[in-house]
Amino acid sequence: MNDAEEDIPIAPPEPGEVGLVEPHDFVYSQPFTFESGQTLPGFTLRYETYGRLNATRDNTVLISHALSGDHHCAGIHALTDPKPGWWNNFIGPGKAVDTNRFFVLCANLLGGCQGSSGPSSLNPATGLPFGLSFPFVTIRDMVRAQKLLCDHLGLTSLFAVIGGSMGGMQVLQWGIEYPAFVRRMIPLATTARESAQAIAFNEVGRQAIMQDPDWNRGDYPKGGGPRVGLTIARMMAHITYLSDESMDQKFGRRRTKSSAPAGADLPPAGAPAAYTFDVQFEVESYLRHQGESFINRFDANSYLYITRALDHFDLTAAAGSLEQAFAAVEAETLSVAFTSDWLFPPAQNREIVLALLRAGKRASYAELSTNLGHDSFLLESEELYALVRSFLGSPQSP
Amino acid sequence: MNKLVAKRTVDMQIIGDWVEPGSRVLDLGCGRGVLLDYLQQTKQVRGLGVDLDFHKILGCVRRGVTAYQGDMETFMRAFPSRFFDRVICSRTVQELIDPAAVILEALRAGRALTVGFVNHGYWKNRVDALFRGRKPRNPVYTTEWFESRPANPVSIADFEGFCAAKGITVARRALLRGDWHTPCGFRPNLFAGYALYDLTM
Repeated sequence: MNDAEEDIPIAPPEPGEVGLVEPHDFVYSQPFTFESGQTLPGFTLRYETYGRLNATRDNTVLISHALSGDHHCAGIHALTDPKPGWWNNFIGPGKAVDTNRFFVLCANLLGGCQGSSGPSSLNPATGLPFGLSFPFVTIRDMVRAQKLLCDHLGLTSLFAVIGGSMGGMQVLQWGIEYPAFVRRMIPLATTARESAQAIAFNEVGRQAIMQDPDWNRGDYPKGGGPRVGLTIARMMAHITYLSDESMDQKFGRRRTKSSAPAGADLPPAGAPAAYTFDVQFEVESYLRHQGESFINRFDANSYLYITRALDHFDLTAAAGSLEQAFAAVEAETLSVAFTSDWLFPPAQNREIVLALLRAGKRASYAELSTNLGHDSFLLESEELYALVRSFLGSPQSP
Repeated sequence: MNKLVAKRTVDMQIIGDWVEPGSRVLDLGCGRGVLLDYLQQTKQVRGLGVDLDFHKILGCVRRGVTAYQGDMETFMRAFPSRFFDRVICSRTVQELIDPAAVILEALRAGRALTVGFVNHGYWKNRVDALFRGRKPRNPVYTTEWFESRPANPVSIADFEGFCAAKGITVARRALLRGDWHTPCGFRPNLFAGYALYDLTM
């Protein structure tokens, strides 16, 4: 131990807010061939940017969002917005990703449903939603589409690509696909290879959607569709983002206060009121709320497509070995995992870093002790902020 | 410069002298990356640290040193033989649960191993034990027993015996007097305060 003295902490400036932001649309009007071989005559990506692009156009931090996220990762769209973008605690003036220094870019991914082309978009050939005629999407397709957006914006390189969960998969794919373009990668709470357990959960979600008669083989009007199936899919998936400990802390066995709402299940004849199948525990009420708010913003077919993209993600199989997959990477990597994450547990994140190191790349690994499960990567954590800030500020050795 | 900093600097200089410029160096128990930072600056090494504690990793990242948070033995097992040009284990051996396993694993994963430790056989430690009858305390180990991490103190005689028993080759040794600066040629197990070994297998 050569350094008993404490480091002088870098005093972060008082963080500010990104403030009012607005989304933009990038319309690519040339044919795009997906990894599956299927094509589209063009596509749209909805994106947001914060901060200023510098003169050398190389200060961009690209944020890759996870399954249910979108391009709106910081700031607000209107002063009346109840909540800011999904990673507002992380991105802004003086924050971990400092918009005084960086040009932050985040795009809704291809196959999504928040403004980018996906199965709910209208097929120009028919005037109807694509539904299942939309091409199958992979993580690599998502990245390739975003590279076209970067080219459109005239970026010369990416200072860093940051993302958690499926966002982390995109981060790794970015480093592999465009090695000379990506300077730094920060994959959080992710994996290089979707595990059997994760595929299993995705499949339960998909079956909930596809077994709902309103799914109708993906053919449903906008705003309609398998609302029950999508709700159940989201409720189930949400459990995988939490942990036993955090659920026990947050809900325990607490009962809901209100009695059964109108139209709720009645107790079977002769049974006392407590013996019903209606919401009794707070955790049930919470999950139902999560499910119901999800169906108002998410498309069931997009859910199928994106979970399939997750399932297909396997850098090891694609290249023969993970070291081979990372052979071309030029970026320096900072990987962060969270002890209570059982969806993409620390071991899977360690494997990424070990393979990068075996391939001779510069990579660091840190682990945060949290009890919030997979969703920990969105946590307000001064330790995470300090780590990311240091990594983005650290000089890069040749 | 206070005494402790001066001592640390001597330690780093000798470790640095044994490192090949531009080589791939793994530091076990890297702390906040001070040594690797020094080796990167002076020897242009490709450094990598391992430590158990998040804040140590944070310190490394802050210095531009790559580091891995985790158990050093498990970490080394993930690498092919002779992957690292040199492994460094500086003032860490006395805190290991299974020092032999770590040292042997380091000699597999690395072409050479530097081990540095404070000599428990140093006369002041003996006098301390004899007259005070208490855990040795000195400018390096300043803490009371109840403030200290579990330690498995090692003397030069212990370490030489270990190397002989395991067939480890001592390529170089630097045995330093109590000032950690002057070479100690006479009865080092009694008069050396600090020992550095350059090992191969």
